[in-house]
Amino acid sequence: MGPAPHEQRSRRSMRFRLRRRMTMGVGAGAVALALVAAGCSSSSTTGGTTTGTKVQGGTAVWAEPPATVPNYIFPFTSSAYISVINASNFTNLMYRPLYWFGNGNQPTLNTKLSLANPPTWAGNTATVTLKHYVWSNGSPVTTADVMFWVNMLKAVGATDWGADTGFPDAFVSSIKVVSPTELQFTTNKAYSHTWFTYNDLSQITPMPAAWDKTNSGPSNCATVVKDCAAVYNYLNTQAKNLPGYASSPLWSIVDGPWKLSAFNADGHVTFVPNPKYSGPVKPTLSKFEEVPFTTDAAEYNVLRSSAAGGQKIDVGYLPEQDAPPKPANATVGANPLAGYTLAPLYVWGINYFVMNFQSNTGNGPVIQQLYFRQALAYLMNQAAVIKGPLRGYGTQTVGPVGNTPVTSYLSPSLKSGSPFPYDPTKAKSLLTSHGWKVVPNGVSTCTNSSLCGKGISSGHQLVFNLPYASGTQWITQEMQQLQSNASLVGIKINLQPKPFNQVTALAAGNCKVAKIPCNWDLANWGGGWSFVPDYEPTGETLFQSGAIANSGGYSSATNDTYIKQTLTTDNPQAMYNWQDYLAHQLPVMFQPNGVYTLTEINNSLKGVTPQNPTLAFNPENWYFVK
Amino acid sequence: MAPVTTGATGDGPEREGEALAAFLIRRGLQAIIVVLIVTMITFALLRMIPGNVAVAVMGPGAYRNPAAIRQFDRVYGFNLPWWRQYFLWLGHLVTGNLGFSWKDNQSVASLLANRLPKTIILVGISTLIALIVAIPIGVLQAVRRNKFTDHAFNAFSTIFYATPAFLIGIILILIFAIKFPILPPEGPQGEGLGVVLTNFNALILPITSLALLTIALFSRYMRSSVLDNLTEDYVRTARAKGASERRVLIRHVMRNSLIPIATLVGLSIPGILAGALITEAVFNYPGMGFLFFQSAQSQDYPVLLGFTVVVAVATVVGSLVADVAYAVLDPRVRYVSA
Repeated sequence: MGPAPHEQRSRRSMRFRLRRRMTMGVGAGAVALALVAAGCSSSSTTGGTTTGTKVQGGTAVWAEPPATVPNYIFPFTSSAYISVINASNFTNLMYRPLYWFGNGNQPTLNTKLSLANPPTWAGNTATVTLKHYVWSNGSPVTTADVMFWVNMLKAVGATDWGADTGFPDAFVSSIKVVSPTELQFTTNKAYSHTWFTYNDLSQITPMPAAWDKTNSGPSNCATVVKDCAAVYNYLNTQAKNLPGYASSPLWSIVDGPWKLSAFNADGHVTFVPNPKYSGPVKPTLSKFEEVPFTTDAAEYNVLRSSAAGGQKIDVGYLPEQDAPPKPANATVGANPLAGYTLAPLYVWGINYFVMNFQSNTGNGPVIQQLYFRQALAYLMNQAAVIKGPLRGYGTQTVGPVGNTPVTSYLSPSLKSGSPFPYDPTKAKSLLTSHGWKVVPNGVSTCTNSSLCGKGISSGHQLVFNLPYASGTQWITQEMQQLQSNASLVGIKINLQPKPFNQVTALAAGNCKVAKIPCNWDLANWGGGWSFVPDYEPTGETLFQSGAIANSGGYSSATNDTYIKQTLTTDNPQAMYNWQDYLAHQLPVMFQPNGVYTLTEINNSLKGVTPQNPTLAFNPENWYFVK
Repeated sequence: MAPVTTGATGDGPEREGEALAAFLIRRGLQAIIVVLIVTMITFALLRMIPGNVAVAVMGPGAYRNPAAIRQFDRVYGFNLPWWRQYFLWLGHLVTGNLGFSWKDNQSVASLLANRLPKTIILVGISTLIALIVAIPIGVLQAVRRNKFTDHAFNAFSTIFYATPAFLIGIILILIFAIKFPILPPEGPQGEGLGVVLTNFNALILPITSLALLTIALFSRYMRSSVLDNLTEDYVRTARAKGASERRVLIRHVMRNSLIPIATLVGLSIPGILAGALITEAVFNYPGMGFLFFQSAQSQDYPVLLGFTVVVAVATVVGSLVADVAYAVLDPRVRYVSA
């Protein structure tokens, strides 16, 4: 898996940190109170669709996520700047990745929009053949442009590529440029072809030869790895000149459907079609604008004003606290905005909170007990959280593979739902049968250490601290609900709302591997993980023993074996075996996957849906009708 | 050193000028020390925030990339003791380098240069309007004490003083931008003072929102100050000498009553620079307040420190302005060593 948390952070955790926090504190109550005060109420018409004839041209305005603006143009983006807003919503419009992911609502390889054909394999050698694409300066996109990126990865990937997976050096033994349109990657052992394409080749974005330079002139990063550090430094420095983005001769060389026509560091960005775009879908719009917002409440004010004939936003979003409750079996509730269509977007990922198997608070041995984790899972009422705090806009996380959308990766058994539906009776039974004296609304105590498990002494009490990222209403309510449910069987959870950064600093890395304190039991940063830009949800990053992003330090030889199989074979049964095992093992506590954004789309704008669960973004598909 | 009230008023203008100059020099030196102490305390407090800065900046996936964390620490000096980091930062500050934002990919100076004018326009104009409106209201209330006008304005100031800024903002938006869409629901959009000034109608709602709060505050102070002065002996004397009520009020009472307002205005200068977080957030008008909020969220220390320097300097200047205003308003005040 790739740097999904970074990607997720830009919208999900940025949303946590600012959008939701601000709007809970400032906006949510304010909107509700003000509606009452002003005697206003929203209309409750569902945004219908408008039929009409396609219009060539027009300007579409897209609302950026709250307090999130593009601020880094160089697609080889470091950890500090890699995010959805910088990648999906900005650089990818101009600089296309080698392989594009997302087909309708499926997170799969889009062969039509990719710059290269799917690799063909002979033994351990993958041959990549480029299609005919050209840069806006007239040069073709060649294998040298691919090698420019690959060499930069080799040179500075570990420190300066925010989605570093170790590719290519960790997996590729040799790379051969056969011709300007063909190159071959030979892997150091047999890997799943899907995994190699989805999680390694997916990292590549060809860069134009015109970028292969330093302050002192042209360089040779495309052919000489040791030249790449200086080139990176030069390009990174150029990327710090935000006011110069739109006029830069460097950044104006694009191979995507759009090019920048205006850029303000405050987040106002305007794109116009790249007339030399050689891909299959040319933009219909004459202009595409991105506009910034401080909070989602501020955005909603403008959206409502737009609906009332004021300022214009064509694609915006509804704050979650204003979401109309979703009836069962419906996609959305009654849209409060007339003239718009409400379309929820769920990101390709899973959500969970971390349990620290390596905790040195005294609770580590308890967390290591499968029966305890399963008892806690029976107390996590995902269905109630979705129905209540999430107002229906969420899906249950059933295991280590995302189930929204349902893909061929998801095992048949997990398609039927979570193995641990809410059941406090089963939770109680698991505890009592393992030597615990259960005290409802009190604190349960181990009375038989031999049954409680290794390292748990008689008299040990089930008391845990659970820091969670504050500011997201549904996460707060979910945590309170879990606290209440857990108290039914005498598990005392001390909730500790903390800033998002503090929770991630505490719990986003395996404490022993990252050499950070292990003095915590449970932690919830709210965002889980999204499978972008490593799209196949294999478990080597999150759940393999000793992996640094295996935050809780779960370790199982069986799991490791299953993971290895997912990396080396394309047989879907390998994925099924692994996830079926891990879903019952509960290496983390699965929690609902809340909606990523409740998109509001102007009814006269078409082509916005279906929205891509990988968060890739294609305004070249958009067009107005009249 | 501070301005002190003396009984003597017979110093010549030359002596007075020298005293003022000496006072300003003393206060300038004090100001440097105060700003240094403020930055030192802020720097130390920021370093005490739990968690790893690199992880805060890079997000939950940062631990996947330990080399990047090490590089971040090396580049930004986090591998050094905090006091050495402080002196490094101070060295840069002396040369006018406020640092570089880790999150915004811009120099702190350019961030402040973009945000500060927007904030000064918003908060400065609303404060000015508030003063222009609140002073006559306060005087009127005092003169018509316990009459309908007084009660009506009392009710006005109590309501707006007690109303949260966001609520006023949202109500104004609902009425004037959504229900009757005659004004934009957001402040001027774009960078630069030109954009702000050419879209002045977009500033009407945010300025009104802030001014309503400030009018309520200033008018209450003005009312009580005028009431206090109306009972003073000098007022009785002036009346006994046959001065008209209008002359008593404007020539004597008004001037003395403005002293607490001068203090308030002086102390509001840092607020004018620090911004109005809630109003900025509600009206999608990111100024200094919102910048500080965002930077605090993301532990963007260079921005927080740059902001602190600006506000610390503004506080010192504001206090100085208030002191000078005392002397202008009250001839008994002289700048001598306390």
